[in-house]
Amino acid sequence: MTMRIFLLLGTLIVIVLLPQFLAPFHIRVVQLFFFTAALALAWNVMGGLAGYWSFGHTVFIGMGAFAAAHFVAKLGLPAGPLQMIAGIVFGALFCGIVAAIIAYPILRLRGIYFAIAMLGIGQVAAELANNVGWFQGDVGLFLETALPDGVEPERFFYYVFAGLFLFTWMVSLVVMRSRFGYGLLAIREDEDTAKMLGVPTEQIKAFGFTISAVLVGMLGATYAYSLGYFTASSVFRIDFSLNMIIYCLIGGIGTLAGPVVGAALMLLLTQIILGQLLELHLLATGLVVILIVLTLPNGVMGLVGGEAFRRRFSMRAGGKAR
Amino acid sequence: MRDPHFPDRQAMLIIQTALNGLVLGGVYSLAAVGFSLIFGALGIVNLTHGIFVICGAYAAMVLFHVFGIDPFLATVPVAIAFFFIGYAYQRGLIQVAISRASLVASLLVTFGVALIMRNLLQLVFSPDVRTITPSYSFSSLTFGSLRIDIVRLIAVLVSIVFLLLMALVLSKTAFGRRIRATAQQPLAANLSGVNVPHVLGQTFGLGAAFAAASGAVLGIVQPFSPSSEDFWTLNAFIVVVLGGVGSPSGALLGGILLGLISSFTAQFIGPSYTNAVMFLVLVIMLLIRPQGLLGSAFGESR
Repeated sequence: MTMRIFLLLGTLIVIVLLPQFLAPFHIRVVQLFFFTAALALAWNVMGGLAGYWSFGHTVFIGMGAFAAAHFVAKLGLPAGPLQMIAGIVFGALFCGIVAAIIAYPILRLRGIYFAIAMLGIGQVAAELANNVGWFQGDVGLFLETALPDGVEPERFFYYVFAGLFLFTWMVSLVVMRSRFGYGLLAIREDEDTAKMLGVPTEQIKAFGFTISAVLVGMLGATYAYSLGYFTASSVFRIDFSLNMIIYCLIGGIGTLAGPVVGAALMLLLTQIILGQLLELHLLATGLVVILIVLTLPNGVMGLVGGEAFRRRFSMRAGGKAR
Repeated sequence: MRDPHFPDRQAMLIIQTALNGLVLGGVYSLAAVGFSLIFGALGIVNLTHGIFVICGAYAAMVLFHVFGIDPFLATVPVAIAFFFIGYAYQRGLIQVAISRASLVASLLVTFGVALIMRNLLQLVFSPDVRTITPSYSFSSLTFGSLRIDIVRLIAVLVSIVFLLLMALVLSKTAFGRRIRATAQQPLAANLSGVNVPHVLGQTFGLGAAFAAASGAVLGIVQPFSPSSEDFWTLNAFIVVVLGGVGSPSGALLGGILLGLISSFTAQFIGPSYTNAVMFLVLVIMLLIRPQGLLGSAFGESR
């Protein structure tokens, strides 16, 4: 226990001090790492624990961003950090409400059908945001800067995303240790048996989906603030959805450390090592994905986790189509 | 002042839109039938499907520009080549991934291959949008005030011929019987002397061949580029969800419905809403009847 506390404190100190030693570009890379790792953790609540693979989680990034921007603009809140917090909270809540509403119909689908339905919902939302004039998704939306005086933007957002990452981590930890988290695992292993044994699968799935959506919505709204100006195509991005899945798979799906390790490895590869070879980006990503599936079917965490780990977590999702 | 021909013109517009939708739908059906076969028989969601389609289009383009082969005739060599490519791909990579990890892993592997191929196509052919334009591209037939391009008409006919071919192969030949047996019960098929891994590879090859052949046809009807591959994968998925998995008739029905939906949306709601409406129909369809209008042709297997 004391070991863990020291480890946690050490991590916190490293996170706080790190920007002192990094160039602005690398601060941005670490910021991107916090953002994507938190996204992967949020996806993992539903995809990893319950085995419901969403292929359209970017819908909550986009909705969080649009909800936050319209909310602060309509209320005319004064610019500053408080306005940003209000926007982020509203974006997260909005995503949670939408998720709770669509949870019941959409979670009746399983496996690949759920995945594709989420992809479809993501596409519909993106097209509507882009084409319905009121949303202004095609011309784009501005968010007033939230920077306090005298703070550099990359440092400010570094700490914001670090905080959100730790928050997402804590939520994931609490979920995984709770009775509710075991309910999600039971759904992944065998939903029908779990239901027969008295696990309230409908409520657990809906709750897990909503938590995941709130976290992603919060991150999406913050991402919009870090951009300052965004259009529908910069927040509704299929590659966000896919990256969440790929990071979890590479690190080890259904674990707490897996999504984080996966995000770190892929960012290291794509941003640092292949940063110069932009036109080979897709090729490298594709190769890594194939190699991981063939060599480490349980992700990097499967390598260090041993047999007990392998029995508990493996690369699987709800297979049947209801 | 009221236009005296008003109702008449409105009716003609609807008929013309329906005609465009039917023509588009015929081509969509052909583009989706390979995906449908692989999904229905092997349970694999082949995210490389769009790559097969686009590769078929590029292959037809090369054959047309270098050897002067008509794109419609090019469907045959392209299909044969992709049968073997698909067979090798399934046996060499996808089957390995499935046996090492799980069926879901095939989703990732095909996605990885799609990324690689898209990148390679961009490097070889550049990311520019291309079209294949044979000499008869711009001629069209008119019936009164209705108009239809000759290429589109031929494309639909070719699509229907291919779909019939697929239906005949599946229902009448010994090869088709082996495919259906393997899809229904791999174990029982194996006990009856079917070489299951070989048949799975052949089924995948057949799907790939039809996808590539459809690409050759599409290259004439629509512009294409390496990045349009995901459109064709999604399109195939929607067609399959609408029509039902695994059968040529399901693909035909789904394709025609999708063609009609997109042409009517483009005409009466606005061209920028076609994708939104398409996906909306997809989601609604999944919620109401996930097995598709005609159900699964390999229903016994799941």
